[in-house]
Amino acid sequence: MIKNSIVIEAKDLNKSLVVSQQGSTDANSKEMLQILQDIKFKVSQGESVAITGISGSGKTTLLGLLAGLDVPTSGEVILLDQNLSSLDEDQRAALRLGKVGFVFQSFHLMDNLTALENVMLPLELDGNLSLKNNDIRARAEDALKEVGLEHRMAHLPTQLSGGEQQRVALARAFVSNPIILFADEPTGNLDSNTGNEIIELLFSMQQQNNTTLVLVTHDDALADRCQTHYRIDAGQIMNARKSMNESKIAS
Amino acid sequence: MNLRSRPDMSLFIKLFKEIKHFWRLAEMRLLFLALLVAVVAVTSVGFFTERADRAMNSQAIQILGGDLVIVSSRPINKLYLTEATQRGLSSAEVISFPSMISKGEKFQLAQIKAVSKDYPLLGKVETSIERMGDIETTRMDSLQNNEVLADERLFVALEAKSGEQARLGKSQITLAKIIRKMPDQASNSFQFAPKMLLPLEQLTATGLLTEGSRASYSYLFAGEETTVKSFTGWLKPKLQQHERVRTLDDGLPAVQQALQRGQRFLKMASLLAVILAGAGIALSSYSLTRHEISSVAVLKTMGASRKQILSRYLGALVSVAIIAGIVGAIIGYFIQFYLAGYLQDFVGQDLPPAGFLPVFIGLATSLIMALGFSAPQLLQLIKTAPIQILQRSSQASKTPLLFSFLSLTIAVFALMWLQTSDLKLSAYLLAAVSISLFVIWIVAVLMLKLVRKFGERWRLPKVNRRMSLMIVVFGVGLFSLLLLTSLRSDLINRWQASLPEDAPNHFLINIQPQDVEPITELLAKDNITTPIYPMIRGRLVELNNKPVSPGDQAYAENQYAQRLLIREFNLSSSTEIPEGNIIKQGEWFKIDEENGFSIEVDIAQNLGIKIGDVMTFDIAGKKLSETVTSIRAVQWDSMKPNFYVLAAPTVFDGYPKTLITSLHLPEGNSETLTKLIKNFPSVTDIDISAILMQVRSLINKAAFAVQAIFLFTLVAGVVVLFSALQSQKALRRKEIAIYKSLGASRSLLRQNLLLEFALVGGLAGFLAGVLAITAANVAAYTLFNLTPAINLMLIVIGTFLGALLVSIAGYINVRGLLSITPISLFR
Repeated sequence: MIKNSIVIEAKDLNKSLVVSQQGSTDANSKEMLQILQDIKFKVSQGESVAITGISGSGKTTLLGLLAGLDVPTSGEVILLDQNLSSLDEDQRAALRLGKVGFVFQSFHLMDNLTALENVMLPLELDGNLSLKNNDIRARAEDALKEVGLEHRMAHLPTQLSGGEQQRVALARAFVSNPIILFADEPTGNLDSNTGNEIIELLFSMQQQNNTTLVLVTHDDALADRCQTHYRIDAGQIMNARKSMNESKIAS
Repeated sequence: MNLRSRPDMSLFIKLFKEIKHFWRLAEMRLLFLALLVAVVAVTSVGFFTERADRAMNSQAIQILGGDLVIVSSRPINKLYLTEATQRGLSSAEVISFPSMISKGEKFQLAQIKAVSKDYPLLGKVETSIERMGDIETTRMDSLQNNEVLADERLFVALEAKSGEQARLGKSQITLAKIIRKMPDQASNSFQFAPKMLLPLEQLTATGLLTEGSRASYSYLFAGEETTVKSFTGWLKPKLQQHERVRTLDDGLPAVQQALQRGQRFLKMASLLAVILAGAGIALSSYSLTRHEISSVAVLKTMGASRKQILSRYLGALVSVAIIAGIVGAIIGYFIQFYLAGYLQDFVGQDLPPAGFLPVFIGLATSLIMALGFSAPQLLQLIKTAPIQILQRSSQASKTPLLFSFLSLTIAVFALMWLQTSDLKLSAYLLAAVSISLFVIWIVAVLMLKLVRKFGERWRLPKVNRRMSLMIVVFGVGLFSLLLLTSLRSDLINRWQASLPEDAPNHFLINIQPQDVEPITELLAKDNITTPIYPMIRGRLVELNNKPVSPGDQAYAENQYAQRLLIREFNLSSSTEIPEGNIIKQGEWFKIDEENGFSIEVDIAQNLGIKIGDVMTFDIAGKKLSETVTSIRAVQWDSMKPNFYVLAAPTVFDGYPKTLITSLHLPEGNSETLTKLIKNFPSVTDIDISAILMQVRSLINKAAFAVQAIFLFTLVAGVVVLFSALQSQKALRRKEIAIYKSLGASRSLLRQNLLLEFALVGGLAGFLAGVLAITAANVAAYTLFNLTPAINLMLIVIGTFLGALLVSIAGYINVRGLLSITPISLFR
């Protein structure tokens, strides 16, 4: 992959929802709620991008659109050279397979799978890899070692602390060497010490693998660690800042 | 996770892994348990009834004397014999007719059976020289010239001993041996005089059989099952109107009815267990899919396609269903073994081995239940939008109601059909289940509204929406349990009551009208009172003043109806409705009623007779017409004189008749009997102690089987209880955490929870009790021919049992949640 090649591009993204009026007697009284408005930006390979904003600003909705989890009302997302608008749900999923990783605020580990089995999951899903079961296991074990959980591999999520669960989630996200990692408030459910540990781990793994990172957070300090920082308010990008060269670009 | 094969990882290992992972979910374990219970119930009952049926059949064949028996009122076409021989079947011929036998001054009417040398083809004739002497098997071709075999009763009546001479028609015969047991013995025994077996080649010499003699001709055939079948196929279209295939209906109606009732109850119990388990499956798959929503969303973010997700869940579901099917069938087989052990000593011979059919039915049950009860939710699960994972609310998209309804209905219908092999019955059952569900739901909602209204004043638990669902689920569970409990004890009690220790073991027939009073007096001296019924033989000749005959188009497909029209009915009359008879339609005769017929429900159905129809009988050349005023169900296994047609008391005045009664004589009391036979020589006594013992033992065995199967329903009920509670656990966890964060103490929470469970359980139990009384009476009346009885205790028991059971199970289920810390809310 050529450095600085564009891996995500948002073109005039709009997202609105139809909401029915609570308490109204008129069944037809529905209102359009604009969540995102004319969002456009590009993300290069290996770049780290933070999206911040207050609750309800639309930052999580944007993350969902960029990852192809949802479709915009208008506008386009180009993810890994594919226009998501032209793909159906399964095709969008196939595009993510092995190339996109996720880290969530509530970890979202499968509670019926051990730590190791959770990490093996993305590799098992990817039939194109044609990996042998032993290879999958070995790679998952390596990923768990990398996050410092080699002694907890056979434990179920309920037997792990919050920080440990998020480490498993990190291992699961990185095990398939994704091109892009989407992180949604990865420290939101953790105390500050544990949160810091997770963030250190996240950035070190991201740099080590040259993974593109799109991080949604409300923590400005955390956002400042990213190369690019978009602030969203009421569905619009208010300002963008490249922290590497400290240059502010008016939106 | 995907099912695309990789070279080194077989599908089997993958499935195994998949199952191992899903097994860690409590919901999946409950699902498996529910499936297992259903399969065990279905297969054990299936294995058992199948074997019992086959045992009955093999017994029936022995009773009939062959695999296939044709009877006719005229000599049968010899062509049938030739064809059977060509096909490799063995055959025998029987000609049967009544005739007088004399020895000196003694005369006795006997039923003569002239049989060919291969008789009987199946079963054997057991004889002895002395009355209680050693039993030996006698072949017909071993008899010397003029030697015959005869019932003990004939020896007694003629005061003869083995080897003595007697006269039959023109022949002098030797009464060689006493028949102790022979095929055809138990059938309709009280209609016939003592039997005599005569080698067929001696028949001509007696000069008894002439053109126009009233004899019954039969051919018996035996051989390989397939040959018999193909021969039957060849034969049936060729049969003349006077020829028919004899079936077990002709013999052992008492034993058959007892067994059929038992089997019907077993099937119903297993069906209810299956429906209960179905509720458990629906609930656990509901909570399973709810639980898996976030997993599916995560899998989708990772790039899993809908197909991969479908195969992941479908694979797990189908594998679990198959494992439950196989394990359940194995357990069912062993349970059946235990049940059959009891049946075995009743049948007194080796039971035929169990077939494989129940295994397939078990597997099919498991698959239908797993798929039919969870498919709608599963398909909805696959549609989960991946964006949900970011929205922090894991909401299940609503399953379309119509689709769920259709899927459930089809599954339930398929299950019932598998169980009953009867489309009509399945449709009725389905309608009954749907209506009860609907009624329970409506009443549950109404009752909760009441609770809400008075709740504040009485400090009742807060009503919430899930309570109505819980009431419906627990209500259905408790309903099934109460219904079965009441039917089971009812059934067993009535069975045992229908054959008490003093059930009649003797029939007295051929009582002359002038002997009725002296016999009644004689019996009264021994403290025996018993109704004496007149018996008039008549042939049904007209219906609604139009002639009827077996050849009528209306009865073309109905052999039973044809037979009813060929043979003579035993007509009787009575002031009181005989014990054990239940009026199904119309009314019993009023006192002083002079006209009217009361007919049995089966013949009413087969001949298409309704209340108000006029039946005309030909009685010794005179025609008698009466209107049908009531239709009765008859308890055939009561061992009392039972009649298809009963008339108002005075209808048969002036017609020639004999009378019949039944009485109980304690073992060893031959005194009364001797007196009777001595004083009233025309009276014939028939001892049915042996049959009675058979039926009684059968009833005890069947009662035991019923108890055993009942246990499954209990287990199924417990599974439902826990799946229902499990499905609410996540919600409750959150609720308890919120209450705690608001400062509620453990003891207050415990108290509130117990109160809520008790309320839900109590309401469900109350509803279940009311419905169970209704259903038990409907079932008692329609399925088991038992008299309806309203047992209000069921409501009381239901309410208390419901409150208690649900409280205990509920508390066990949520106990762990009480120690939850409010901080878990933020996780």
